[in-house]
Amino acid sequence: MNFVERSLAAAAGLQTVTVGQDVRCRVDLALSHDVTAPIAIQQFEQIGVERVFDPAKVVLVIDHIFPAATVQARTAHWIMKDFAAKYGVTLYSKSEGVCHQLISERHRLQPGQILVGADSHTCTAGGYGVIAIPVGSTELAAAMATGTIDLEVPETIEVFMTGELRPYVSGKDVVLSLMRQFGVDGLTDKAVLFTGPGIAQLPVEERMTVCNMGIEMGAMIACFGSETKESNVAESIPLNLATLEPMAACPFSPANVRPVAELGDIVVTQVVVGSCTNGRLNDMEKVVNVLRSHKVHPDVNCLIIPASKQVLDAMEERGWTRILRDAGAVVANPGCGPCFGAHQGLGTERDTIVTTTNRNFPGRMGHRAAKLYLASPATAAETAVLGKITSPGTLQREVG
Amino acid sequence: MDKLQGRVWIFDDNVDTDQILPGYAMAEDAEKLAAFAMAGSKVADFAKQVQAGDIIVAGKNFGCGSSREQAPVALKNAGVGMIIANSFARIFRRNSINIGLPVMLADIGAKLQNGEVVSVDLETGEIQTAVGVLNGQPLSENVLATIRAGGLINRVRQELNISSGRKP
Repeated sequence: MNFVERSLAAAAGLQTVTVGQDVRCRVDLALSHDVTAPIAIQQFEQIGVERVFDPAKVVLVIDHIFPAATVQARTAHWIMKDFAAKYGVTLYSKSEGVCHQLISERHRLQPGQILVGADSHTCTAGGYGVIAIPVGSTELAAAMATGTIDLEVPETIEVFMTGELRPYVSGKDVVLSLMRQFGVDGLTDKAVLFTGPGIAQLPVEERMTVCNMGIEMGAMIACFGSETKESNVAESIPLNLATLEPMAACPFSPANVRPVAELGDIVVTQVVVGSCTNGRLNDMEKVVNVLRSHKVHPDVNCLIIPASKQVLDAMEERGWTRILRDAGAVVANPGCGPCFGAHQGLGTERDTIVTTTNRNFPGRMGHRAAKLYLASPATAAETAVLGKITSPGTLQREVG
Repeated sequence: MDKLQGRVWIFDDNVDTDQILPGYAMAEDAEKLAAFAMAGSKVADFAKQVQAGDIIVAGKNFGCGSSREQAPVALKNAGVGMIIANSFARIFRRNSINIGLPVMLADIGAKLQNGEVVSVDLETGEIQTAVGVLNGQPLSENVLATIRAGGLINRVRQELNISSGRKP
């Protein structure tokens, strides 16, 4: 068995599992947010149990639309508040952060533990070795009631990383390169396991970025394993990190990926840095390193959305939020921001947006014709300064 | 209840959740979702034409995109009896099963005529069509158990021995 199979077997209380086997796994944490929780709560109440399986292992996070942009959004908050009070589960309701970042800070699971989350980007926790299963609301409701989830043991694809990353190439460029290779359904129903000596260069924050977009390739599970080669995988795909360069996913698919250097002059009207994909302190550092000595282009809205209060606090301690604001950027409250098109920075058909988020489907961030490019924080930062899509490293910078 | 019959609606690859249920319809109440089924697809008036028991036959990666459970709910409430596709996005597939809407893997779209009536055996995977019997992948025991229960919530209620007389 490989790491994924060993973890599923342990969670199922079995000695061994084989690909295709149906297993019932113990759940170590059940997560939902203000878009998926209301339906999950409604379904949970339909089941008719009197308690959740373990109040300490059920977490609700208001992150998608806070402060409420609509009356309906606020109604969802109240449904969650009532549920948390009734069942004694944890609720984060004051802009503490995006659920995936927040649980990594405050409910950190161990490698091989099972996270079930009613959000497609639950796979982010694979960055610290967790077997993280994205589900819909009904499955989450069942998990909250029973403390278990029924799964089919997936085939595991290993991505074996070697080589040294070039300057300005980050986890985002790694996963965009993989998107280019696998497409939007190349890993459907499979587990993808990142291994090899190359992963040593990726700190856990970058690993979370890589796993975050596993769902965009259709993966059931995306997680990091060890630096040695795994045994018993369906396929092992080598990835030489030294060959990678800064990448961007062009409109309107996360798999429509091209090297930033080949894009030519593309004028940009908005830059977004944040989200569960790239809203961590290491991401912010890359932006601050640029905006410390350069101003945001006059025709660009530069929106900075820390992925959590902890990230924002660390930025403030370092004086970064002031540097960002003085450079012409706007620092918003921690949360999902405009990533999924509800509030805080939507575009029209006149907008071209470079964003560090994870999806660029038509209409994802406002109007269906708003052009969305997904890129790394380093690419986004220099783009914000020059007002056109820019390869990171183009600007002379002073790192201090 | 493991055998279904219905008219087929043929769709292409990569039908995403925005085609199945456009984002603007997400705010609608559950009972109104049916009116928006497939409203973002090539058959924008699907909801008006669909009949109870009709079967969607699609290509690769049906249901890709958002984890929104409202998408399969809209299809089910509109009367769709099951979905057959070359492949499904995983969360959509699980959401469908969990609300009691059967989904089957089969590569048959190119062999069928839009509107013909087919019969599907969920247990064996056999699909009777105008060109003879075609084979889909039988539903696993676990999936069949959920479908037979009418969805995951009912199944969990059964497993926890919660009688139907109790709340809700």
